[in-house]
Amino acid sequence: MPAAASPSVLESLSNDLTGAVERVGASVVAIHARRRIPSSGVVWKNGIIVTASHTLQRDDDISVTLPNGDKVDASIGGRDPSTDLAILKFAAKVTAANVDAGDSLRVGQLVLALGRPGPSVTAALGIVSALGGEWRTWHGGRIDRFVRLDLAIYDGFSGGPLVDGSGRVLGINTSALSRSAALTIPASTVSRVADQLIATGHVRRGYIGVAAQPVQLPDELVRSLSLSQELGLLVIGVDTGGPAQKAGLLLGDVLITFDGQPVSDPAELLAAMSADRVGADVDVGVIRAARREKVRVTIGERQSERRETRRGRK
Amino acid sequence: MAARSRLGATGDALAVEMSSLAQFVRSFTVALTAASRRGTHAGTGVVWHPDGLIVTNAHVATRDNYTVTLATGDTLDGEVIARDKEADLAALSIPVRGLRQAPAGDAASLRPGSLVLALGHPFGVANALALGVVHHIVRDGAGDPRWIAADVQLAPGNSGGPLVDATGRLVGVNAMIVSGLGAAIPLEVVTKFLRTTVGRSAWSPEVWAA
Repeated sequence: MPAAASPSVLESLSNDLTGAVERVGASVVAIHARRRIPSSGVVWKNGIIVTASHTLQRDDDISVTLPNGDKVDASIGGRDPSTDLAILKFAAKVTAANVDAGDSLRVGQLVLALGRPGPSVTAALGIVSALGGEWRTWHGGRIDRFVRLDLAIYDGFSGGPLVDGSGRVLGINTSALSRSAALTIPASTVSRVADQLIATGHVRRGYIGVAAQPVQLPDELVRSLSLSQELGLLVIGVDTGGPAQKAGLLLGDVLITFDGQPVSDPAELLAAMSADRVGADVDVGVIRAARREKVRVTIGERQSERRETRRGRK
Repeated sequence: MAARSRLGATGDALAVEMSSLAQFVRSFTVALTAASRRGTHAGTGVVWHPDGLIVTNAHVATRDNYTVTLATGDTLDGEVIARDKEADLAALSIPVRGLRQAPAGDAASLRPGSLVLALGHPFGVANALALGVVHHIVRDGAGDPRWIAADVQLAPGNSGGPLVDATGRLVGVNAMIVSGLGAAIPLEVVTKFLRTTVGRSAWSPEVWAA
């Protein structure tokens, strides 16, 4: 019969896939930190689970179901909503996942998204559909590579691992960083953020204490002030006692440059305030009463992340 | 001469294997149609026994008679001989012998990640093939498979069609779509249904020695 031909490529591929699920599944846990369906997490190193921050809808009373079925208590070791990553600490012996140390992602590569939205591990098959360079999330988090998947999203997708055919974990999946596509936070970013969360419980981020939104600059103003940009950032909020207020930034100022670079998008502002810039004095160019002004601001450190909004994501 | 594939040797072998597998599965898949006032009512079925036993879903075979179109294109009158709404299974008989029957697989051996293929006639498109993997297996109290949840893209019209493993052996009958996942009734559940309704033990799928 035609289908009995051996050795069969499909059969060995199927065996490779189930093998990869089995190996990595031994490090995938179910996290009980929201109503309805549990979310997924990966034992990244001994006693440390990495998951998608948005799936942890409470900070206390969290338990995890281990691959062997045991249910144990876990506590949040830190969150970084800017990259949608969080770590949980737990006391039980579970094998850590085999994390891809290099950069083996390729467009077209067959990948599996694993999850554990209940007692048993789940798998979905797809391919890496696009790769890009470093990018910033909506909340300003730095992700080393843009990894877009062609893969169906089911319950338990977020916080679960992206796995290659040989059982290596390529990253952590999340549905919260894009409205339209399944994305993966690459392993290098996960390890970097997890290490910071393990060390300090939070990810250091710069802060000046303004809320701003992009606005179109009037043509005459662009001409009269010889500006190189058409958009600026209108200051719509100034935190009391924050670096911006201390420096004299006012509600209604329009930010046009930050540390010498034009800014026309809140993400650019966030990108300019990475951890290594904390404590630095920077010049902020603003338009105030139709005139250019320069204000010197000392970048502070963001103290605590605000809780994420509760969205019905998987 | 056709242009040489640019895929490597594995890619070539995969392409050849996929198309021969598709052809093989097609050989034991049938289309069920019945004319009604609202147009044609269609579904898919699996050849369970060479002597004209066809299995489909109860929600597909809601009437008593169907036109059964074989892979060869021949059409025959089929009569529904058993129906279990709760199990969502039905059996039809067609007056023919020597059909190519589905080889029996082992749903119990499936694991998350196992490659599976579904064949059917979604939205009236004949013989549409879908490839995916087992997402998870829903088991009953005794640990036996109750549902195969698969990451395969199904659509109305796939109902009653075969879900096969990487070797083309039948592991289930596609029945519905739950939260985007294809849900198939495992072979063992179908066998149980046939044993209690049709009652002829000889009408079990061929056990296929590889």
